[in-house]
Amino acid sequence: MVRQIISIFLFLICFSANAQQYLGEDGTITFFSKAPVEDISAINNKVSAVYDAKTKALVFQLNISDFIFPKSLMRTHFNENYLESDIYPKSTFVGKVTENKNGIAHVEGKLSIHGETNFINVAGNLLVHENTVYISAVKFIINLEDYKIKIPRIVMYNIAEEIEVKVNIKLKKQ
Amino acid sequence: MLSSVFTNAQDDLLSMLGSDDKSMYISSTFKGKKVVNGQSVEVLSKGVLQFQIQHRFGTLNSGFYNLFGLDNSQIRLGFDYGIKDWMSIGIGRSSELKTIDASAKIRLKRQSKGSAIFPFTIVTNSAIFIKQYRWSETKEETFEFSNQLSFAHQLLVARKINRELSVQISPTFVHYNLVNYAEKNDRISLGFGARQKLIKRISVNAEYFMQINGKINNDVLSFGFDIETGGHVFQLHLSNSPAMIEPAFIHQTIGNWRDADIYFGFNISRVFTIKENK
Repeated sequence: MVRQIISIFLFLICFSANAQQYLGEDGTITFFSKAPVEDISAINNKVSAVYDAKTKALVFQLNISDFIFPKSLMRTHFNENYLESDIYPKSTFVGKVTENKNGIAHVEGKLSIHGETNFINVAGNLLVHENTVYISAVKFIINLEDYKIKIPRIVMYNIAEEIEVKVNIKLKKQ
Repeated sequence: MLSSVFTNAQDDLLSMLGSDDKSMYISSTFKGKKVVNGQSVEVLSKGVLQFQIQHRFGTLNSGFYNLFGLDNSQIRLGFDYGIKDWMSIGIGRSSELKTIDASAKIRLKRQSKGSAIFPFTIVTNSAIFIKQYRWSETKEETFEFSNQLSFAHQLLVARKINRELSVQISPTFVHYNLVNYAEKNDRISLGFGARQKLIKRISVNAEYFMQINGKINNDVLSFGFDIETGGHVFQLHLSNSPAMIEPAFIHQTIGNWRDADIYFGFNISRVFTIKENK
């Protein structure tokens, strides 16, 4: 009963707090794998995110199938064998900005990929200017093992266990 | 209580993003561009070149003298290129039949789920087959170049039922410019194909073509075992036809499974990215 009252309260707040929400739908996330035999990179230009300046909540979402690779076969294997995007079509980040000083913002929260969720702590730039939030210079490493993404022995020199991820997005005030 | 209030706020934000359930296209219905002998609904991506060696041995019932068929062999070499993500062209040559083939495969519609549901992937395949001839043959009175030609047109309709199982039906039309007196020039058949994935990179395939009209020879039944590694797909087969082109394996199959006229063969294909994306 109390939860319901709070939910309704929050629901109403959402409307009043709308003025503090920023939304973006064509952000860019890239990842890079450096391995002895080959380097693999991919880019996703359809990343969505929402930032609430009041609560400092920051969430990201993307479709795994929107990653584009230089080689189409890489994309097919990525979706079918590694990320299994037919079962886990999206990847999300739900977190909050804990600190934003001198141009460096710290964000912590839960990153979900391939059905696995891990707590991460990331630094970057989050600049609020007029009606736009600019998120840039975000770079962090993820371990494939943490997300149960398996690399078969036969390609272990082609794919790195640690993948470098970069994020860039502009959010517009709603 | 406060933290649950806060978490709710984040979930609300996430739900702001979640409403774009656009249609999700189904991909990788089959591992290779062929089910066993016949074409599958898979089309090469744009800028990708595939080189394929198809190898067929003699029949398993040829006895030890012929090493159970391994002594005999015929091959088809083929190159296919993706012009667009939905269109590819190919060229190939069969050694035993001395036939050159050229084909075009066009994907009309993809199976999709999500906001727009469509149950099948539909692809057309059209090919022309040219039987090679010697210069001396052209001196004969009866020689006509058009006699060397045959054509095949197919509508390939497939459905990925789940992660492991895909099925395909292939209504096929073959036209022979020149046939024996009692045979028909136009032949219609219905192909049935299926693949069952065993583990992530290995599947078993089965294919059967049922001749609808003008049937003289046996229907072809084939089984395949596909292994995918990086840029290669290896396919191992057993079939009652050694031919690798539609006019030959659908309507000119003499072998019979019951008599152990079983041809063992394999396909190896390798893809090269000619034009990278971005």
